[in-house]
Amino acid sequence: MTSVSKYRSTAIADNVVAFSISYQRENMLARGMGLEHLRELLVRLARPILRQGASLAYGGNWKDTEDNFVFPLLRVVSAEQEDSGDSGLQIGKLYNHSPWPWYLDITPKIEAQWINCCRVVRITQRMAGLSDADILPDASADQADARTLFNKAITLSAMRRLMMQEMWIDNPDVPQPERIPPVTARILLGGKADSYAGFLPGIFEEALVTLQSECPVYILGGFGGAAEVLANALLASGDERPRELTLDWHRANNPALVTLLDGARKFAVPTHLASVENSLDALFGFVLKARADLPGTLRTGLSDPETRELLRTSNIANAVHLVRAGLMNSKKLPQLPA
Amino acid sequence: MVSDTYVRTRQRVSNLQVVLPLIEENMVADQSWRHWLGELALGNPPEMHRVMIPVALDATAYNMPAALREMNYLRPTGLPLSEPTAGKAFENVVRSLLKQITEAMCRVMLPRPAISSAGAAPLPDAPLPKVNVFLSHAKQDGTEPARRLRDYIYSQTQLTAFFDENDIAFGSKFSRVIQSGLSASDTAAFIAVRSAAYGSRPWCRRESSLFRRPHLLENSVAGQAERWFVYPSVVVEAMKAGTSSIGVSEFGNSTLIRWADDVANLEELIVTTVIRDAMLASFHSALGSSIPSNANQIIINTLPDPTTLLHIPRIRAGAPHDLLYPGRGLSGLELAILSDLFPALTFRSFEEALL
Repeated sequence: MTSVSKYRSTAIADNVVAFSISYQRENMLARGMGLEHLRELLVRLARPILRQGASLAYGGNWKDTEDNFVFPLLRVVSAEQEDSGDSGLQIGKLYNHSPWPWYLDITPKIEAQWINCCRVVRITQRMAGLSDADILPDASADQADARTLFNKAITLSAMRRLMMQEMWIDNPDVPQPERIPPVTARILLGGKADSYAGFLPGIFEEALVTLQSECPVYILGGFGGAAEVLANALLASGDERPRELTLDWHRANNPALVTLLDGARKFAVPTHLASVENSLDALFGFVLKARADLPGTLRTGLSDPETRELLRTSNIANAVHLVRAGLMNSKKLPQLPA
Repeated sequence: MVSDTYVRTRQRVSNLQVVLPLIEENMVADQSWRHWLGELALGNPPEMHRVMIPVALDATAYNMPAALREMNYLRPTGLPLSEPTAGKAFENVVRSLLKQITEAMCRVMLPRPAISSAGAAPLPDAPLPKVNVFLSHAKQDGTEPARRLRDYIYSQTQLTAFFDENDIAFGSKFSRVIQSGLSASDTAAFIAVRSAAYGSRPWCRRESSLFRRPHLLENSVAGQAERWFVYPSVVVEAMKAGTSSIGVSEFGNSTLIRWADDVANLEELIVTTVIRDAMLASFHSALGSSIPSNANQIIINTLPDPTTLLHIPRIRAGAPHDLLYPGRGLSGLELAILSDLFPALTFRSFEEALL
């Protein structure tokens, strides 16, 4: 059984930096970069965070595909843990929030292999707020009917929301429940603006829940994808609303969303789930606010010019430098020894 | 020097807790198992000595919590299996695991001196020394079985072997080194390779006589039973067909295994048998120590035989005593013979004593 708390600790060990990242081949190629550059960026961002005692979070699946970043992150955690040896350095771990039915792919063998590097947090249909009558059996996870697609999308959204909350997991026969710390900062890059699987592009929804939780958001727009769309929206002036932040645009560009929205009319929607339109409105509300106070709204811990630079840069070293500096300011992460 | 008064610490069954977690991926991935095994590995409960012997059934076993994964796991050979619980491969894994567990349990349960030969008490967490097996053989008849047993012990087990060719330094006094090897606190078992010449070789007879002599446990106190410990031995029958030899009474009721050069895994059978017997000897000793007793009792950790009993001074003196021994009871024939030879003794099994 899992419960959620509103309370948040600010201790360094409690810092969890989430990565919202996916590989968009065309976007990266247009910048003269490939998958290896993205992996390098990920490692250069993740390594100092771990050495500073914070943990990572990544809500990805465990399919061993080239554009999945669970395994590169696990390898970084594992290498850092091994390197720390007897140094006394407290190395963080990876929290992998995995929604139904993705977590069905995580066998005991996989989990056991990485257990000291990673805590898998399974987000069930019940945790997503679906009623017992609407919960589907695991065996039907491969179906492509409206109910299954709807439940998947609901659980995916719930995962993004629950990542931002402290959770307590009751393990059978263990006296104390296990604490899963909430995400306290997020780094976003890449991502699909269309042809996504849930109710919103992952980058948009994860940016929104992080902003709503008043946690720092580091958007690396220089590497394309939905992050670039969001970065451009933030860097614009005035009150013009980008069309990618409107429901009409998404209806027109993502047929899967139309199916989901049809389902939402037929099926009972969990009370905590905002409509797509309201979510896009809320996100645009933050965009408008940020246009007036960019570092304050995004809580980057950087100056206004630095935050703008972060939103634009496609230079890996520059991006890493800015994120690290921002995290040290905003989350008080310690300076690493030279 | 080996003598009737050589003393060892005794262990009680009731204060030793052995935890043998068979660790595989499901256990590693389960937070409840991780929590409780981690707790068990961290320390001893009051009045209890806990020993963890983790077993790795797959490669993920080493991902258990730090308190556990710092330990050297038992690793049965033949894993992973393609068929989980059937066939020859599975039997081999089980055999390998049983062999390793037997060896580990023997190491855990073997009574050790409270004070080392150097005069110091061992540290509480000090690793237990290796268990030593004394190999006794008559060189006159060749060294093939003894050499093969020694090679097996060093290549396939965590035991050590006392083998005269290796363990008596050139120029050292032969008798002193052998006596030292026999009386070493880690020597738990004895394998006698009984060839035709064995019974007529004085040093072979002396070795078996010294080793089979019972030891008075140091915790035997006034008002309670005397507790005696006998180390087990296995006799490897290596006489060639048609040869003759004199009997060796010192072997008592030792297990007998026939040697053959061409039988597969014979070394494993012999060594595992003697180590299993050593483990059982230690267990029975601990069990005997847990039995409420009085001064009119003598407790022994093996089935009684005349040669062994004659080494115990109170029995030789002929005073009436109850003799408690492990197991459910002796056969009528055995009891009749022992009662004839030792009329002052009443023979009772542990099970009878505990009723």
